[in-house]
Amino acid sequence: MSILEVQNLNKSFGKTRVLRDISFSLEQGESIAIIGSSGSGKTTLLRCLNFLETPNGGSIRVNGETLFDAADPAAQSEKEIRRKRLHFGLVFQSFNLFPQYTALENVVLAGGLLAKDKGSAYTGTPAEIEANARALLGKMGLGEKTDLYPHQLSGGQQQRVAIARALALRPDILCFDEPTSALDPELTGEVLRVIRSLAEQKTTMIIVTHEMAFARDVADRVIFMDDGVIVEQGAARDVIDHPREERTRQFLSRYAEG
Amino acid sequence: MFWTVTTTLLKGFGTTVEIFALTLVFSLPLGLLVAFGAMSRWRPFRSLAHRGGFAKKLSGFRPVGALTNLIIWIIRGTPLMLQLIAIFYVPGMLGHNIWKGNETGRLTATVVAFVINYACYFAVIYRGGIEGVPVGQREAGQVLGMTKGQIFFKVTLLQMVKRIVPPMSNEIITLVKDTSLARIIAMYELTFTGYSFAKSAGITWPLFYTGVFYLLFIGILTILFNWVEKKLSYFRV
Repeated sequence: MSILEVQNLNKSFGKTRVLRDISFSLEQGESIAIIGSSGSGKTTLLRCLNFLETPNGGSIRVNGETLFDAADPAAQSEKEIRRKRLHFGLVFQSFNLFPQYTALENVVLAGGLLAKDKGSAYTGTPAEIEANARALLGKMGLGEKTDLYPHQLSGGQQQRVAIARALALRPDILCFDEPTSALDPELTGEVLRVIRSLAEQKTTMIIVTHEMAFARDVADRVIFMDDGVIVEQGAARDVIDHPREERTRQFLSRYAEG
Repeated sequence: MFWTVTTTLLKGFGTTVEIFALTLVFSLPLGLLVAFGAMSRWRPFRSLAHRGGFAKKLSGFRPVGALTNLIIWIIRGTPLMLQLIAIFYVPGMLGHNIWKGNETGRLTATVVAFVINYACYFAVIYRGGIEGVPVGQREAGQVLGMTKGQIFFKVTLLQMVKRIVPPMSNEIITLVKDTSLARIIAMYELTFTGYSFAKSAGITWPLFYTGVFYLLFIGILTILFNWVEKKLSYFRV
């Protein structure tokens, strides 16, 4: 059984249809890259999966549990959504670290709050949560930076803290929304290396990216989106090296020209 | 004479500080409530959105937001002195003497008028501070499973406070001087006390001497605001 099944997802903003009948699935331990030009709906798709947008149609299932079904709006209470969205983690393009907290506090904050909430599945003592956060920051190569505030860190370091923060809640599926687009070119490498190592450890991931070479090398599968539809999907190397669809070819050739 | 004047003025200054402190204590939290009211997106008729004409217009109606913004408009659009007079005299004119004629009654009426007025000004500043926090901060809290309350208190609040220290210090300094309006309902605050010497003893210098008290008080407040600003300089927004 797939860990994630998205079926016929639709999303409109006013009269503009941003997502049209998006269907795909994801296996445990698989990483999938979503590519496509700006405005193709990639980010909206991630935002729908993370309950930051409410789809107008379709369904989202994780581990066989229906997290979202447009036909059943009654299940969308705020409390339910808070529980369901924890299946997903999201790393933002602009990091969105909390500026008033240190790197460590950023990673610890949500876990600490969830552990106090008796209704939540997340458990742990404050000491365990902190030890876990320190271990994660260490894995991100930030073991020495735990007590620094976001403005004292480079963009690449901030993004790695954000990845640790998302991992701290042990999501089933980790989503990346153009994780390197806000970074100076010389800083993208360190973030991509971290994502690559996560892929090697079989972290289930959905990565929206403009880094074609990275998508080809790291992702198991690639989805190409254009104008709100999935034009083509398949094994990463097949889609990027031998696209079947004309639109994919055009998009990739624009990239090759740079 | 100098000491008599000084001790009398100190008494008036005490009343000034009393109005100032009571106004702050109540208007700071009330302003936050007013700010939330002004930002309220509650639309009780939203289910009518798919219909046409008037029903569609009605579906976008935000009653709490509209009412709060109307109140803010009235309060910011009329002089505080007028509001003070209205609050003190109008209940009596309508046959409900809710304020006792003694000093406590007048102080209460003054504080009520000041709290309403300042809550509206603070609300606008709070609102700017809250809306100035990038939406990504709230979204980061959401995807981490935080509740609305947790997001406000653990994420938004301190960033808002840092943003609003300069405009709030302006407003609070204005409040110190606005307390002198209370003389209109015969509150013996600092200015009225100084002025009364002109009537009773025929000397005008005590009135100008009151300026020293205001300056010292605002000097202390300025030091306090600088300290707060420095305390919050460990992070950037």
